[in-house]
Amino acid sequence: MKKLLSLILSLVLVVSVLSGCSSGKDNSDGNSASNGGASGSGEKTVITFMCSGTQATEGEDFETQTLKKMVEAKFPNVTLEVTKLPDDQYYTSLKTKLATGEAPDIMWVQPRNAGANAVYALAKAGYLADLSDLNAAKTVPGTGDFNYDGKVYAIPCGVQFLGAYYNKDMFEANGIEVPTDWDSFLAACETLKNAGIQPIVMGDKDAYVMQFGLYQLAANVVYPKNAEYDNQLADGTTKFTDKDTWDRVLSMYSELYEKGYIEKGSLGIGASQAIQQFIDGQAAMTFDGTFNAAAIKASGAADFERGYFPLPGNAAGGTTYVAGAPGAGPAVYAESKNAELCKQILEYWFDAESDLCKAFQNNPRFITSYEGAPVDPLFNDFIDAYSKGNSFYWCNQAWPAGTENEMEALFGEHIGGQGTTIQQITQGMQNKFEELYTE
Amino acid sequence: MQKKRKEKSLVMTNRMYLFLIPALTMFVIFWVIPLLMLFRYSITNFNGINQNYDYVGFKNFITLWKENIIGISIKNTVTYTVILVFVSNVAGLALAMALNAKIRMKGFYRTAAYLPTLFSAIVIGFIWTYVYMPSNGLIATLMNQVGMDGSKFNILAGFKSALYGITIVDIWKNIGTAMIIYLAGLQTIDESMLEAGQIDGCTGFQLMRYVKLPLISATITINVILSVIAGLKAFDYVFIMTNGGPGKSTNTLMYTIYKIAFTDQMLGKSAALSVIAFIVIIAITIVMLFFMNKREVEL
Repeated sequence: MKKLLSLILSLVLVVSVLSGCSSGKDNSDGNSASNGGASGSGEKTVITFMCSGTQATEGEDFETQTLKKMVEAKFPNVTLEVTKLPDDQYYTSLKTKLATGEAPDIMWVQPRNAGANAVYALAKAGYLADLSDLNAAKTVPGTGDFNYDGKVYAIPCGVQFLGAYYNKDMFEANGIEVPTDWDSFLAACETLKNAGIQPIVMGDKDAYVMQFGLYQLAANVVYPKNAEYDNQLADGTTKFTDKDTWDRVLSMYSELYEKGYIEKGSLGIGASQAIQQFIDGQAAMTFDGTFNAAAIKASGAADFERGYFPLPGNAAGGTTYVAGAPGAGPAVYAESKNAELCKQILEYWFDAESDLCKAFQNNPRFITSYEGAPVDPLFNDFIDAYSKGNSFYWCNQAWPAGTENEMEALFGEHIGGQGTTIQQITQGMQNKFEELYTE
Repeated sequence: MQKKRKEKSLVMTNRMYLFLIPALTMFVIFWVIPLLMLFRYSITNFNGINQNYDYVGFKNFITLWKENIIGISIKNTVTYTVILVFVSNVAGLALAMALNAKIRMKGFYRTAAYLPTLFSAIVIGFIWTYVYMPSNGLIATLMNQVGMDGSKFNILAGFKSALYGITIVDIWKNIGTAMIIYLAGLQTIDESMLEAGQIDGCTGFQLMRYVKLPLISATITINVILSVIAGLKAFDYVFIMTNGGPGKSTNTLMYTIYKIAFTDQMLGKSAALSVIAFIVIIAITIVMLFFMNKREVEL
């Protein structure tokens, strides 16, 4: 028995020592992957592209079908291998591939600090190629959110907005105009409530929906006064606890709960249940993003016309800013053997005149601001504000991932009557930010 | 046993240990090494992407302690486990006894009681969010129909009630398994024992307490262990039904580990919490082994 035990122990030791060595080797291999031989012996160059999302259920899928077809037509010597994975699998797969030095030539990254494939994290680790000299980097709006240390590392695919979907029929029946400032918004809610209609429904059990309202308010309260607010959080010039910044955003949003404008007990309702209540005509509004438009437009128990407006967090007479974030987009792997070719593909993709770009604009999944690109009429006001520059990104994209979860958890406690004060929420956000932020 | 070890076995010669190597290698590569690596990661600030991480000593553990993550998640997990173990075993045993009696349509009732177990946790969790849904859910509607105020019912939104809400769902699913195992245990009891007891003048309760329960003590042990395991690894219902909310009131150990690793992207800190979970679970196991062994001797 003792012999066996010692055998096992020594085996464990030997194997762990070996694995220690080999992992070291892996690292150095990964770093020198670029020195590997030239690409393949055949004439065709294989370019790999990995992105996240789900396949289109009807029509052509953009990445896996349209893009592949048109890129291969334009570059006859290229085979584009596209892999599309659901978000979580994509994150895991990308991480593994990056760690082993086998990352795809083109990969899908998110703006600033958003998600596991955030451009800041990847650029900082040296995985991405500098795209600043591309035409696309200069012409496509929103590249500022993919800018790390003064260099552009990815090209955004369109833009996404947060707003308030509303029931046009209910608004008309109660003589309410689309509100354009905070006071008129509160007045509209009051009117609806007095008429016995639930003004707003939110599925706060899925706490991420709290962001839908809060970020729109922050776009009107925090950033117009200081567009560098989030960058300054890093060096401590600004703090979440600063007066008239997040304390104001949170107390404005909390007011909607105190006055019962947002359904009582929202903490027990899920996001999809809230959408269901809205399309069943049980509430006049719900805050949601353009990415959920299909679910919002699905027919429910009630038949009514949908409208969409940016939540006005501004004072009367002021400008309403929208919360618009550039969508995720392609970036080029720094160690790719075909980096130049990849850049050409991206140029072709985002050149407003190219066939591929036209197909891209016409795909209903992307909201682009190219001239003449078809846009869902629901989003017109948003596109206008975005083109005028009256738009700020979604706050969490500038924060290290996890800060928003702390905000949601604490705000949940606040509206759930746990005695958490606004000040404790901003303090909690600040603590979490300082813990998560690394530079 | 003691004697046999000294003799040379004809079947298990030393050479036979070679056959252990394949299995052992797999075990070491996929279990022992990752575990050792976990301990190493727990003192780094590894974020899952950047391989140039730093060693930060016990900072992760200190932060976990300061933010009271350890306290909250251990408290929630233990509460969850205690309720799950107690209720699902008592109810499972009661159900098994009822279904072991000579009643009509026994097969149908047994099937019905076991049915919830067959569905995946994801499906069950999702359906129960509709059962619990305020004002329009199954329970709220039922309350309205019997003249109670269903709009006040909102178990998943309550900071005190949400954890119990999801525990109930797990119990609902777990009872079937417990019931089947108890049923099997009850059926191994020899009729003659019960008859002997009856002849000696046992009441129904005495028969259960002094004859049936001791005879199925091994079954009780396995059931308790199974539900303790289920309770300690509580993750699925939290993930599907509440996402740890409202606030942090349903953050269990496993869910918190997942959240820190995959939403906060702090694999180092998450590894530190895993180490703590490892220690907590080992401690609970030791206590249980001690308790269970003692009890089985007593009986």
